Amino acid sequence: MTTPAPDPIPALPSTPSDLSLVQRLRQRYPVRTIVLALIAPVGAVIFAIAASALILALGGHNLGDVFTTMWKQAGKPTQFVNMVNQAMIYYLSAVAVSIGFRMNLFNIGVEGQYGMAALGAAYVGGQITGGGPFHIVIELIAGMVVGAAWAGIAGILKVTRGVSEVISTIMLNAIAINLGSYLLHRLGTTSGNNIQTKTISSSGRIPGFAYSGTQTKIYGFLIIAVLVGVGYWFLITRTRFGFRIKATGLNEEAAVASGVNVKRLTLIAMLMSGAIAGLVGLPALLGQSYTFSQTAQSGLGFAGIGIALLGRNSPIGMALAALLWSFLGQSANQLDFIGVPREIAAIMQGVILLAVVIAYELVRRYRLVLQQKEVAARLRTPGPTTELAVS
Amino acid sequence: MAAVELAESSAPGADLAIQVVGVTKRFPGVIANSDVNISVRRGTVHAIVGENGAGKSTLMKMLYGMQRPDEGEIRIDGAAVAFHSPADAIAAGVGMVHQHFMLADNFTVLENIILGSEPSSAGVLNFAAARKKIRDLSTTYGLELDPDALVENLGVGDRQRVEIAKVLYRGARLLILDEPTAVLVPQEVDELFDNLRELKSEGLTIIFISHKLDEVISVADDITVIRRGKTVGTADPKTVTSRQLAEMMVGSELPSPETRSDTVQDKVVLSVAGLTIQDSDGRAVLSDISFDIHAGEVFGIAGVEGNGQGELVQALMGIRSINSGKISLNGVDITRLSTRGRRVAGVGYIPEDRQRQGLLLEASLWENRILGHSDSEPNIRGPLIDRAAARRDTERIVREFDVRTPGIDVAALALSGGNQQKLIVGRELSGRPVLLIAAQPTRGVDVGAQAAIWDHIRQARASGLSVLLISADLDELIGLSDTLQVILRGRFVATADPATVTAEELGSAMTGASTGAVA
Repeated sequence: MTTPAPDPIPALPSTPSDLSLVQRLRQRYPVRTIVLALIAPVGAVIFAIAASALILALGGHNLGDVFTTMWKQAGKPTQFVNMVNQAMIYYLSAVAVSIGFRMNLFNIGVEGQYGMAALGAAYVGGQITGGGPFHIVIELIAGMVVGAAWAGIAGILKVTRGVSEVISTIMLNAIAINLGSYLLHRLGTTSGNNIQTKTISSSGRIPGFAYSGTQTKIYGFLIIAVLVGVGYWFLITRTRFGFRIKATGLNEEAAVASGVNVKRLTLIAMLMSGAIAGLVGLPALLGQSYTFSQTAQSGLGFAGIGIALLGRNSPIGMALAALLWSFLGQSANQLDFIGVPREIAAIMQGVILLAVVIAYELVRRYRLVLQQKEVAARLRTPGPTTELAVS
Repeated sequence: MAAVELAESSAPGADLAIQVVGVTKRFPGVIANSDVNISVRRGTVHAIVGENGAGKSTLMKMLYGMQRPDEGEIRIDGAAVAFHSPADAIAAGVGMVHQHFMLADNFTVLENIILGSEPSSAGVLNFAAARKKIRDLSTTYGLELDPDALVENLGVGDRQRVEIAKVLYRGARLLILDEPTAVLVPQEVDELFDNLRELKSEGLTIIFISHKLDEVISVADDITVIRRGKTVGTADPKTVTSRQLAEMMVGSELPSPETRSDTVQDKVVLSVAGLTIQDSDGRAVLSDISFDIHAGEVFGIAGVEGNGQGELVQALMGIRSINSGKISLNGVDITRLSTRGRRVAGVGYIPEDRQRQGLLLEASLWENRILGHSDSEPNIRGPLIDRAAARRDTERIVREFDVRTPGIDVAALALSGGNQQKLIVGRELSGRPVLLIAAQPTRGVDVGAQAAIWDHIRQARASGLSVLLISADLDELIGLSDTLQVILRGRFVATADPATVTAEELGSAMTGASTGAVA
């Protein structure tokens, strides 16, 4: 039997070695791809600004005043440092959430995981005196282990009993709040009307970076946050493990057929997510408060879910989203002084999220249709229909 | 081909229940419909036949309001209609019986039938009225349904009748049956055909979609053949032969999948002994299956879908746990090995449903190249993915397997079915597999891609590959296999010699009509 004469196949891109780096990049990331990637988040932010402007206008506020106040506020040194510090915390939380998101695993429990982990790290750190740099390392490990263990409960329930991780992590959040409070009473000491863990000695603290014009320092934890981001990027895009996570997220049935042990991967992803969640409370603990108390910041785990969504689980995207989130939160502090309710920032955050989720879905569908059309157009050269030689 | 005449739009005024005139539907990248013309006489069974992927389902979706034609017209009782949703189609008296049943197991027949159009008075369900209506339907059309039986206790044939009753309950005068016999055993097929004749005699019109030609000839009054999205002709079931129909379906001449040179070696590659699998109710899905596949041998399994083939494939791939038995690959016991371990040991897998089990539709072609091969060269470098090498190898597959694509960065979703399948075949034949499990390797692909895939399987066989071939296409099975087994209700019931057996003989063995050695 002879095979039919091949049709004129549309030219494939030449082999990479024939092209310069710039050409290769252009071929792999055409302008359209980049535009499509940016249009959803940028559009959502513009939409949110317009929506908040409408609300402000309805309330009789001066739009220009509000936006200039917010912008100026973020430019002041102290506020700028606060913004960066807060963004780094948000970022860690978002990375923790996104590890699960990548494989359609919804870890809603970062909130509880980081709470337990911060308490654990503060307690362990407070027990140690001396030890040099190992003191910090032990604190980090303590935070990650506690976070991973707490998330691991949901992971084990999921793979052994099929319990939805959404439900179990939400319930574990409630347990964490009360258990944390109980443990704090048992482990901590009362000072004034606050209960706190033993203060961490100097070797267990991470020194900050000075920023001119303010006494407030940028947390030294920034370096660790950047390393987490780079590590996350590398894991997801470059490793076999990351490929399996991606494959499972895109099509679990195909992943199973291709040899992915989804249960094991689920457990590992949950543990990793929890370990990163365990770092969320540490920038403030090791860079500012040096002790865990009831006044520690809450709500970071939930913010992380929104930021991961806005940043599309991308290491860079989530960093930008964390900065935006933190900018809105910090700059709104000043609004009370000009008689504008600061809740407008929360409204903007909410509108951005809603808009971006819708916009991403629209862009995703549009991109696929566009690609199908393009492929169909490139291949329109009609091939022979059924003229096959039969031996 | 005296029995075959070209499709012409029938003379207006004839008593036509439904007429499709010049309908065209375009989709990016897939075969759709182009200038389809069909005229269905009232009170007849009209069969629409065509290969998988010929455009039958697109046509049905348009008739049932799930999609809208780009051009052309659908006329019901002579009047043009434009359905925007299945609800419109139902209102116009068109009902669809899907291939896969859409029934709630823990509901009774009655509850399933009325679900979505519950009769009520003042907000209270009126079961008595529904029960009476269902009993009436059941006697009028000979459906023999007990309204109060739980659906989970019903067999496949009964379930199908519930689906039909569901459609009739909503007042359908035109029934579309999409591959209704795919899931039925022979007696059930006969019963279904009796039901269809009953419906016909009551004046209902039936559109029967199938690619099983013998069935079509036995039940239909008219036949329309679709090929590559076009209506290529009509045929009279009283005079046409299945061979003639098949030729209309695939073009002037059938491509032949024949492999006649003997490449079977002595070495046993896959050895399965006493494999038994039970479903959750403890019923045996596979009973004591044993066979060997040698190097260079294509081992074909024929059978009506749902007789244990799917479970066998899953067990061999390690996706499904088995109750007892032993599986060895090249003499090594792999019974307890994970799917990943079996992949690494050299088992390639072309899954039955490429989109659900074989591809990451939204990922690029080169990422799809890595799927299932993320533990083997050339895709990896230690624990890392070697992107450059994976991309290079994807370009090789695109070239050697003639995957029609503008590049390897497009999403797999953008390719047509045949090209997706060629990519999968190329991937699974890469890296020197020792065993290829090929389930429906050419389902839904065009004839050109089919011939190419056959060629590649033949070449790999010649170089010593063992192949387990499961296919619904009997010509493919007969043409490619060196050994043929017939599976029925989880057992091998007959063996056939592919050199001498005919599709007809094989087909009758599949229904249990003959056992032992066929031909």
